[in-house]
Amino acid sequence: MRYRSVLATICVLALTVVVVFGGYVVAAALSQPAGPPITVAGIVRVSPLSGWEVAERSAEPPSVRLTRGSGNLDVFVFPFTGTPVELATEYVEQVLRPQADRLEVSRRVQLVRVGSRSGVRVAYIGLFRGVQFQIEGQVTAVVSSSGGAVVFDGWAPAGLLQYATGDLKTMIDMAVIR
Amino acid sequence: MGTMESSPGFRRGWGRQTSLFQIRRPAFWAYAVVVAGTGVFAVGAQSAFRQISPSGWALSWFLLALYALPVFLAVYFLDLYEREPLSLVLGAVVWGAVAATTLAGIGNQGWGLVVARIGTPEFAARWTAALTAPFVEETLKAVGLVLLVLIASEEWDDVMDGFVYGAVCGLGFAVVEDVFYFIAVFGGSPGGVLAGFYVRVVSSGLYGHVVYTALSGMGMAYFVSRADEVPRRRRVLVAGGLFLAAVAGHFLWDSPWLDLFPSRVESLRDWLLIPVAATVKGVPLLALAVVGVTLARRRERGWLEGALRSEVERGTLSAVELGLLLDPAARRRSRRDVRARAGAGAARLVKRLQKEQVNLAMIRTRVETDDDPDLERQRQYCRSLRDALMAIPGAVPWAGRTQVG
Repeated sequence: MRYRSVLATICVLALTVVVVFGGYVVAAALSQPAGPPITVAGIVRVSPLSGWEVAERSAEPPSVRLTRGSGNLDVFVFPFTGTPVELATEYVEQVLRPQADRLEVSRRVQLVRVGSRSGVRVAYIGLFRGVQFQIEGQVTAVVSSSGGAVVFDGWAPAGLLQYATGDLKTMIDMAVIR
Repeated sequence: MGTMESSPGFRRGWGRQTSLFQIRRPAFWAYAVVVAGTGVFAVGAQSAFRQISPSGWALSWFLLALYALPVFLAVYFLDLYEREPLSLVLGAVVWGAVAATTLAGIGNQGWGLVVARIGTPEFAARWTAALTAPFVEETLKAVGLVLLVLIASEEWDDVMDGFVYGAVCGLGFAVVEDVFYFIAVFGGSPGGVLAGFYVRVVSSGLYGHVVYTALSGMGMAYFVSRADEVPRRRRVLVAGGLFLAAVAGHFLWDSPWLDLFPSRVESLRDWLLIPVAATVKGVPLLALAVVGVTLARRRERGWLEGALRSEVERGTLSAVELGLLLDPAARRRSRRDVRARAGAGAARLVKRLQKEQVNLAMIRTRVETDDDPDLERQRQYCRSLRDALMAIPGAVPWAGRTQVG
């Protein structure tokens, strides 16, 4: 009787662990790169997860846009010397603001690691010309040792970014910067 | 020494009372460790909400207390005859409020990543809530109920008991989840909290976690309490079916299906549409729960009758009194009539007598023999109350018509 009681309690706790933490394990197992990695200007290599496709490539500045539904990841390579914070600021002011009718950028700057390099991340929300809805995004800026800099701009219509953040974070974390 | 007769409606052990604190049972320690561990996070979350909006947080708890207290009492007293031990009932509330909410917060997020990985952001935005919360939250609340079964299975006598434990566990969950919504989703300002209270409690308070977990609890109680009467296969089907009904109801609530809720609330019409939309989504499951409770109460009434029939033959109580005990409305009416005829003191005495007659039934189900000293003592007590009542002129019109032993 006591043995059955102990066994039943262990089973209940095991079920609890599966329900509470199983999602993270399954999500990690599903977050594997699919297809060949994409290299931008020989500086950064990004491995798209399943479902993500190349929507656009550009040579000036060297960039690629990966997309999945309404989730997007723009990867830019710039020649740059400075700190990641300065890079993020310059990207916001030189690339995003000129296209925006209204733009709010988070004051909080998050320190992140991309592969073996450290970088910064800022969030933004804005109304961009030619787009009917608000765009929500996260800019991750990393300066490479080879004189280039990489900006990851993950974005989606407002309210939807939270559902793409997991994929965006995984792809940025797995990116290899030379 | 006489032996207890086993009439068809007689339920042995119905009147037993066990507490939550069964320190020899591993399930108790599992319960205690999980509640203590999650309690740290739960307190931290409430502290954060209080810092975000002290007035909104206080107003949230005040309003939710106005809702939760009457619901708790209604659920508790709905179990007419054999009320559950308070420590176990409060244990169910605490599991729902502390352990289930904290663990569900972690679990929902993890499974949300899976939904986002499988579908596009648009799909995830529409379906994440429906594809995660019903499974995660209903399972975690049910886990608490299973632990309570393992702690005190003897208290799960019938479906009605499962209803009580399940409903209060769901109530605990709903209250803490509502505080989260009032602060994090409705903004936490007093206006936002009031709007949240209107949407989530006034409009939808009848349909949510209380009903879902009540159904799970009823299924669990059916499985546990009918082991001697119903084949295991059928018990599994009923328990599993009720749990799936709870999950399905929760799924419908969170899904975009049958969604009549206004996308923006701008006019009075929009405000009025909210309770209508909530009713469309919530009434089917509420109806199922009402049917379940009605059937369970009918069954408990049968047990009470079974336990007291021989006491009528013995003359401990009259057939009229037994009839009153079996019909809650008639019971209340009888007390009103006595108050009108003989005053408030007599009415209180009738209430006491009726309560002790129910206790007599509980003792009968607990003891082994018909002449057990506890049973005999309770009979004497009921008779003494009865004698006191009869001494009040006009208080007991039925007493003269029945012989009292």
